Amino acid sequence: MTTADDVRSIEADALPTRFARGWHCLGLARDFTDGKPHTVRAFGQKLVVWAAADGTLNVLDAYCRHMGGDLSRGTVEGDDIACPFHAWRWGGDGRCTRVPYARRVPLRARTAAFPTVRQDGLLFVWNDPEGKPPPEDVTVPRIAGATSDEWTDWSWYSVEIKGANCREIIDNVVDMAHFFYVHYSFPTYFKNIFEGHTATQIMKGVAREDVRRPQAEGSSAPTVLGQTSVATYHGPSFMTDDLTYHYSDGDVDSVLVNCHYPITADSFMLQYGIVVQKAGHLGDTAEDVAAKMGEFIKIGFEQDVSIWQHKARIDNPLLCEEDGPVYQLRRWYEQFYVDAAEVRPEMTDRFEFEIDTTKPNAAWRAEIAENLAQRNGGTGSDATAGAGTGAAVSGPV
Amino acid sequence: MAVRSDSRFLDAPLVPVSCRVCGAGVRVRKSTWDQTSVQWDGEALASCTERRASGPGPGPSGEVFRGCGALAEAIREAAVLGEVRVRSEDG
Repeated sequence: MTTADDVRSIEADALPTRFARGWHCLGLARDFTDGKPHTVRAFGQKLVVWAAADGTLNVLDAYCRHMGGDLSRGTVEGDDIACPFHAWRWGGDGRCTRVPYARRVPLRARTAAFPTVRQDGLLFVWNDPEGKPPPEDVTVPRIAGATSDEWTDWSWYSVEIKGANCREIIDNVVDMAHFFYVHYSFPTYFKNIFEGHTATQIMKGVAREDVRRPQAEGSSAPTVLGQTSVATYHGPSFMTDDLTYHYSDGDVDSVLVNCHYPITADSFMLQYGIVVQKAGHLGDTAEDVAAKMGEFIKIGFEQDVSIWQHKARIDNPLLCEEDGPVYQLRRWYEQFYVDAAEVRPEMTDRFEFEIDTTKPNAAWRAEIAENLAQRNGGTGSDATAGAGTGAAVSGPV
Repeated sequence: MAVRSDSRFLDAPLVPVSCRVCGAGVRVRKSTWDQTSVQWDGEALASCTERRASGPGPGPSGEVFRGCGALAEAIREAAVLGEVRVRSEDG
């Protein structure tokens, strides 16, 4: 029997021994189309990425099956990649096409090839520990703005996160309260919906009076009133966020991508990008707005990262009723870590969870009032020092 | 990577609620009047008429079905009738 006096222990299982099945975004496609091979460390492996002569992007295991040379240090020859060690040539389908000094290519000369999709300026790679191709109904959503003249080009960022498993960033899907305490934002509405291979977070928020954007001091720049965000993970690692910022002079629609690919069990590459609609009231400044929003979102991720790098992995989080559905989210996330035949209905059945924000909002309003009173009283300025440098806008994580 | 159970749901489990319009049977839990958890299954999802009638909204996250209004009404009525206990009312 546990009693009220028992100390609660943190339980943490071993890190997963496999990497999630699903589409993973490797970044902007154009960064791989310079005619050179690129090294990508992902899924516990080293990969080579290159563009064939016709522009097709290919991804293979980087190690040559001949003598183990690193193909990502080789050269692109037509559609193929040539190993720097003995010039063996490999095609995008993983087959050895030519051994320049041999009469014929040996039998079984086939290496691991990853299915790829190039879409909306991004490169996606399919990972499946079972080695099966992607099912037809498991796709990456289109991002219409990314190819529209009415929208900006991608502002794109990458950062390697060491010392954390990628489940930490997934957990943020359901974590309403951290948006106030870590990101200095103020959620007023928060709902999660898990269904099939998607997990959605719907969030509305308002700007905090005690958080000042430094460059807005004394300027006539429009102020952020709040934001509406509908963010969906399509599979284990690729999130799209239909994000609208409500400014004092009008709305700005944007699509934020938040994605990652695992490098090892305790490191991952976090990437995020944003495209912004060139709304009329933005004039010619849409690209600047996109870049500025990207910088704010970068601050938000840095706030997350410093939490992740110091926290404990925890499989038995202790939750209050105002917390989101952490356990149900992890039940959903587990579908990507078991064989396709082992995916159970409980992992994919639709689940909805709407948080009652009444009590959190009352507590936060009181905290903000206290911060403002301390600031105006000229004492206790330390209490708001952190908030003063925070981002007044943030993304869905 | 065995996922543990949410003790909030062990202490106060989901209870069945049926939609008055389509008869979809879901399981529901409410910690307050404004907090609601809804667990669907495949059968309930297939019978939901609002879901069938809904089309995807704009944007890459537009495909998500935000929720069923008729079901929300049935859940509210079940809470008023005490068929779904509202935890914060328990004292």
